[in-house]
Amino acid sequence: MEKRLIKKDALAGIPKKIRENFTVFAPVKVEDNVVFKELEPQEEPLVGHYQNTKNAPKGVFFPRTEVMMRYVRTPKGVQLKGIEMAAADAVLFGVRPCDARSFALLDLLFDQEKYKDPYYIAKREKATVVTLACARVPYRTCFCTSVEGGPLDGKGSDVLITDLGTDFLVEFLTPKGEKLGSYFEGTPASEEAEKKKEEVKQKAEGEIVSHIPAREIKPILDVNFDHPFWDTIHKKCLACGTCTYLCPTCHCFDISDEMKYDDGRRLRNWDSCMYPLFTKETSGHNPRPTQKERWRQRTMHKFKYYVDNFNAIACVGCGRCVMYCPVNIDIRKIVEDISKLQ
Amino acid sequence: MEAIERNLREEAKRLLAEKKVDVIVGYEAGTLPLTATPTFITDPAEAERLVWNPLCVHNLAKYVHDVITQHRNSQKRVKPESRTRKVVGVVARGCTSRSIILHLQERQYGREDIVIIGVPCQGYIDRKKLSVSLNGEEVLSGTIEGDEIKVMTGTGEKRLRLSDVLADNCITCRFNNPIISDVSLGEPASAMKAEEEFNEVNAFEQLSSDERWAYFEKEMAKCIRCYACRQACPSCYCPECFVEQSRPQWVGIGGDASDTQVFQIMRIFHMVGRCVDCGSCIAVCPMGVDLRKFLKKLDKDAFELFGSRAGSSLEDPPVLSTFKEHECEDFIYNP
Ligand code: SF4
Ligand code: SF4
Ligand code: SF4
Ligand code: SF4
Repeated sequence: MEKRLIKKDALAGIPKKIRENFTVFAPVKVEDNVVFKELEPQEEPLVGHYQNTKNAPKGVFFPRTEVMMRYVRTPKGVQLKGIEMAAADAVLFGVRPCDARSFALLDLLFDQEKYKDPYYIAKREKATVVTLACARVPYRTCFCTSVEGGPLDGKGSDVLITDLGTDFLVEFLTPKGEKLGSYFEGTPASEEAEKKKEEVKQKAEGEIVSHIPAREIKPILDVNFDHPFWDTIHKKCLACGTCTYLCPTCHCFDISDEMKYDDGRRLRNWDSCMYPLFTKETSGHNPRPTQKERWRQRTMHKFKYYVDNFNAIACVGCGRCVMYCPVNIDIRKIVEDISKLQ
Repeated sequence: MEAIERNLREEAKRLLAEKKVDVIVGYEAGTLPLTATPTFITDPAEAERLVWNPLCVHNLAKYVHDVITQHRNSQKRVKPESRTRKVVGVVARGCTSRSIILHLQERQYGREDIVIIGVPCQGYIDRKKLSVSLNGEEVLSGTIEGDEIKVMTGTGEKRLRLSDVLADNCITCRFNNPIISDVSLGEPASAMKAEEEFNEVNAFEQLSSDERWAYFEKEMAKCIRCYACRQACPSCYCPECFVEQSRPQWVGIGGDASDTQVFQIMRIFHMVGRCVDCGSCIAVCPMGVDLRKFLKKLDKDAFELFGSRAGSSLEDPPVLSTFKEHECEDFIYNP
């Protein structure tokens, strides 16, 4: 694994250089928000000087809406038409470590040995993730260190960039990452740089002020599917799905068909366990009839079911749901409260 | 403010202890600095959590409707003689009381189902304006002192004028005090710039129809159809919204711009004479869609053509459900 030091002022120009050969996704300021999106020719990516993007980058591999297939109605019956699956070579530049980690978590689900999601995999395989470590922790709501991540964590990344104060340390973590080597001109990193990185890491981890007992609540959730506690979260919830749409690890989808005259397309769209239509069956019955059961699902899915299935917590501690819930439902507090249940 | 808060807690405690109400819907401090969040208090000892300050954003009438409807539904399987009633106490400012009046007029619940704790209102802080005036920096801590907000961010302490970050609907509000209430706390508050209520709409009306449509398209393109606006709105209480019906499916759920526009046009038109300009939909919208421009236009029309302001009086019925012999009909012949 190669490591290099690059000059601080060199970083800003790199995404544009990469853009000559790849589709680049990066943080861009749009009106009052910083969003993660495809970089248009005239757009300036934000590098270094932003906290985190409002939306999670998961949309690059798992878009909010995508066509799965097309079909035509003919007098002889329905004719199926495939769609173009091949994705362009892409680079995701300036992802935060928590969001990069979300890719590793989504891989567990969409790219299993037995079940493979061709739509996700086609895009994911062609993409290289360049992560910008959080040498300074951007928010007080960040709690990556409580969910097995960290502000300098490289999981899910192909290249990891860390601000050492004087230079940037660039680590090429995977063969995919190494292929981008020529864009990062610099000098080989010495042991000195290693030491410096360790210091930055210690300092950044110390800056994290939110801590939650994420692993600890698993045994409690195992035996408390029915507990009066579940009556206490959801009453003020608006069922807007902001928390799940912004969440880097939420991945539920719903499939629907749309016809225009004889042309049909099958779409998959993001779904959300916060919506009344979630798991509503054709008969009209819904096993999760109220917001109470839906919020239990959200909590269980993140801190129990995902652990059962993949031995990983489906939360990366980015804090988006905490910051953007319009009625301040705070997952940190929920986890904390669960840890205190008898 | 502090005095009102103290009285509010006392009142809530008394109402709960004397079993005059089963639950109080109010506000408590949020888990993030400079926030307040809706809360449901059933235990008199918990009444201490209640707050009343310019951080209280949401129109709580929505929750009054929720709680009563859910309770009614839960009683459907109970024998008529054993059915119970649930009385909801609610902390209500001007716009909340207007929504309650609307609910009463639309027969959503009875006056005996609610106890209104009226509070005067000097407006609430618009989180988006606050964030913009802090250049998007995170609020580490903050306090409100009179007309000033003291905020700590990563780059130091900032002082902001409260009036600079109040929500637009609050600045031009003319209903700063509850219209009906059972308990009324504090001194009445006065209006700020009520006479400028329609300024923005007037300016918008001056644009050509192409320009107006372009603005509508631009704003709606931001919408991700999370329906938070509908969910937060006390007037949007249909048990099943048309967008969620599937037989037939009125709007597609994909990314087609026209589907979003259809949802918005329908919702906005369902608000004729029913929008109280509480700003809840805008406050909860994660994408910053300018819904108010369009809602306020209908508000203006209802007022100028029919002399009606939604929920402004129990005696004055909603404009769309009444017919008066001499009222304006020109628009029918001459749109
Ligand atoms: S649950 Fe919340 S904090 Fe955890 S990854 Fe999702 S959005 Fe981030
Ligand atoms: S959660 Fe951790 S990795 Fe994510 S932005 Fe915060 S500090 Fe960085
Ligand atoms: S963001 Fe908040 S209000 Fe919206 S669905 Fe999630 S928890 Fe409920
Ligand atoms: S809250 Fe905003 S984004 Fe959500 S549906 Fe309403 S207008 Fe669209």
